[in-house]
Amino acid sequence: MFQNFRLSMAWLHTWFGLVLGFVLMVVFFFGSLSVFDREIDRWAIPSSRFAPQPMPSFDTILKPAFERMQPDKDAIALLDGRVDGPLPERFEVVRSWGAYTTHRDPVVSVFAGFEVPRAKDPDETVFASHALDPRTGAVLPQGQLRVGSEFFYPLHYSLHLKWKDLGTWIVGFSALMMLAALISGVVMHRKIFREFFTFRRHKTVQRSALDLHNLTGVVALPFHFFFAFTGLVIFAGIYFPVAHTQLHELHELHERVEARETGLPHERAGVAAPMASVDAMVAQAQRRWQAKGMAGDVGFVYVSHVGDANAYVSVYRAGTDRVALTGEGIHFKATTGELLREDPPRSAVDSVNEFLTGLHLQHFRHWLLRWLYVLGGLLGCVCIATGFLFFVEKRKQQHAKAGSAGSRVVDALAVTTVTGMLVATMAMLVANRLLPESLADKGDWERTVFWSAWGLAMLHAFARGGALARARMNPAWREQCGLIAAGAVTAVVANAVTTGDHLGRTLAAGYWPVAGVDLSLLATAAVAILAAGRLGRRAKATATGQSPAVLAAAEARHG
Amino acid sequence: MVEPTWLLTGAAVNAVLGFGWLALAMDTHWEQVHGDAAPPPSLARALRVAGALALAASLGLCLGADHPTMAVLVWLMLLAGGAVAIAATLSWRPRWLRALWPRRVAAQ
Amino acid sequence: MPSAAMTDLAPTPSRAPGRLPPLALLSRIGAAVLGGYAFCWGFIAVVHAGLYGLGMPFHDAEHLAAILGVLLYLVAFLWTFAARRVGLCWAVLLVGGGLMTGAAALIQRALLA
Repeated sequence: MFQNFRLSMAWLHTWFGLVLGFVLMVVFFFGSLSVFDREIDRWAIPSSRFAPQPMPSFDTILKPAFERMQPDKDAIALLDGRVDGPLPERFEVVRSWGAYTTHRDPVVSVFAGFEVPRAKDPDETVFASHALDPRTGAVLPQGQLRVGSEFFYPLHYSLHLKWKDLGTWIVGFSALMMLAALISGVVMHRKIFREFFTFRRHKTVQRSALDLHNLTGVVALPFHFFFAFTGLVIFAGIYFPVAHTQLHELHELHERVEARETGLPHERAGVAAPMASVDAMVAQAQRRWQAKGMAGDVGFVYVSHVGDANAYVSVYRAGTDRVALTGEGIHFKATTGELLREDPPRSAVDSVNEFLTGLHLQHFRHWLLRWLYVLGGLLGCVCIATGFLFFVEKRKQQHAKAGSAGSRVVDALAVTTVTGMLVATMAMLVANRLLPESLADKGDWERTVFWSAWGLAMLHAFARGGALARARMNPAWREQCGLIAAGAVTAVVANAVTTGDHLGRTLAAGYWPVAGVDLSLLATAAVAILAAGRLGRRAKATATGQSPAVLAAAEARHG
Repeated sequence: MVEPTWLLTGAAVNAVLGFGWLALAMDTHWEQVHGDAAPPPSLARALRVAGALALAASLGLCLGADHPTMAVLVWLMLLAGGAVAIAATLSWRPRWLRALWPRRVAAQ
Repeated sequence: MPSAAMTDLAPTPSRAPGRLPPLALLSRIGAAVLGGYAFCWGFIAVVHAGLYGLGMPFHDAEHLAAILGVLLYLVAFLWTFAARRVGLCWAVLLVGGGLMTGAAALIQRALLA
């Protein structure tokens, strides 16, 4: 079908890159924002703007909170069709309790898994999850959406398309195509070393877009490759659910064997029994880590078979100083506090897997690396966006002459996915500040604003796309840049007005989560204004036939 | 024990320097920076060696600052940042890179 | 002035998908996506079951199989586009995938016995 290897790779890169590029743009951008998702949460939920706390006392703070938890209506609704008879309203038998903290989060995340009475699958579990104030155990208001960790972050791996995990599958396929695009891109790029630093700004849009596309793709190639690859590894259980289907029986065999070998019971005994002091167990775990030369904070506490004689408590060390997520788990019998098992050092395969997943999920404490990750993500966005620009520029003239709408459609979709996405993000942040704190379902309103703003941006992009019929640039690019700048500044001002935590105060106090978001918003506004200006000059230049550089110089002279 | 911040700053500087020298070793970029024709092969080789050593030094400094698993990631990302910085400088202000390897040294 | 590098690599509009035989194109994409998936399913199943049978811890075998499986999917996908005859790809991917899936089933049966 293709005459040679290079041409086949070029076709693959162009067409799969184009189609999946729209998805990848969303994944990379919201992935970049997710690096600082907890900080965005602090900006969005002012009542949570206090300093990160260590894991609070289980006995006095967490246990009472756990005992009050029940799944909410959304979680129960997921059981539809999986239960015989009507949906249960209360869930009494608790399979598990889990609590985890991070060095970035002032809140502690807690979840509880419950057995489902009359479920078709005996292993069916329904979950409840909350964010607690670790100082008091109070549940953080439910209606308030954690814009970073509950919206932007899941958007980047699932597109919020939950039906049968469809969004996750789409993202997964896009990730695979990202890998294919990287390899095929390298195959196509004959001058990969010679043009390593090349960015010819003053040439045609087609040439400079391609230069920038190649540059941003190559210099961060390890980053792009590893993030797509590790993303797939993290969700491999969803994409290839072998252990839960074809090898299900082998899995069950393993669980029974493991329960015997580790002394950690696989099933409930069916006998109710009270829990001993978990705080004492946690203290013992910390002493043991210290004795091994690995003193550390507690990252994760997990109780299995809650309320049963077979219950056990697992304490894991927080992985803040290395790439692996958590580790060095120590397990105690819940009724007596007796030590059951200390996890042995990791095997080679396990270490590799923990490294790969940890590199993506970023539980480590390393602010420079986090910002470098944001840089990598933004370079990925530039790579994809310039890919669109190159595609359109290359075909604009021919399509205009032939009366074909191809490049017009691609261009409008590109505007939607690049600037439109930013417009929606700004709109959501502004809405977050302007809507009253006490509004019930405030989160639902914020989500509606996000999706509506994006939809409107798309309509705008298509409406203004007539210019492409004359082989000109779509003015929507410039106009949406203006909207982004206005939105970003409005968000910063709205934060100052509604919370009083303006930059003067947050910088003086060194409260970086909020200061960081405000500064990033202002930087975005600056870039958007610069971009709008440049695009405006280019549009004028194309109209009058002059080069944009000449036009800029003329403007500067006239002051 | 040197403060990690200093080690990482050193690593970042070395990444930029390293790529700066590697860029200057290329004819097109040497011309952009110095306005002269291409550097002689011995000079180009010296620049490439200097560049490679600086990038290696960058890795060493990263390893001094963090656990090895993190150090490697930091290094790779500093390389990306360094390369972008040099490419941007070459595109907007190539003259700024004159200080990296002044012409006088080349004439000798 | 566009350089030769730009115009000869990426397909120009005259070779847009409309011009490539649509059925052949669909077959190639199908082989890459579906055939590749089947092949990797088989690979992951047989490597997982096989390594567990050889004594590797269950989840280690699971993770190693998945890590290698993802990379294999990438390779299979690229190969399917580079290969001259798509029929060969269909054959290798489906038959190979089937054989490996079958082998995994046999290993499981042996281990459960």
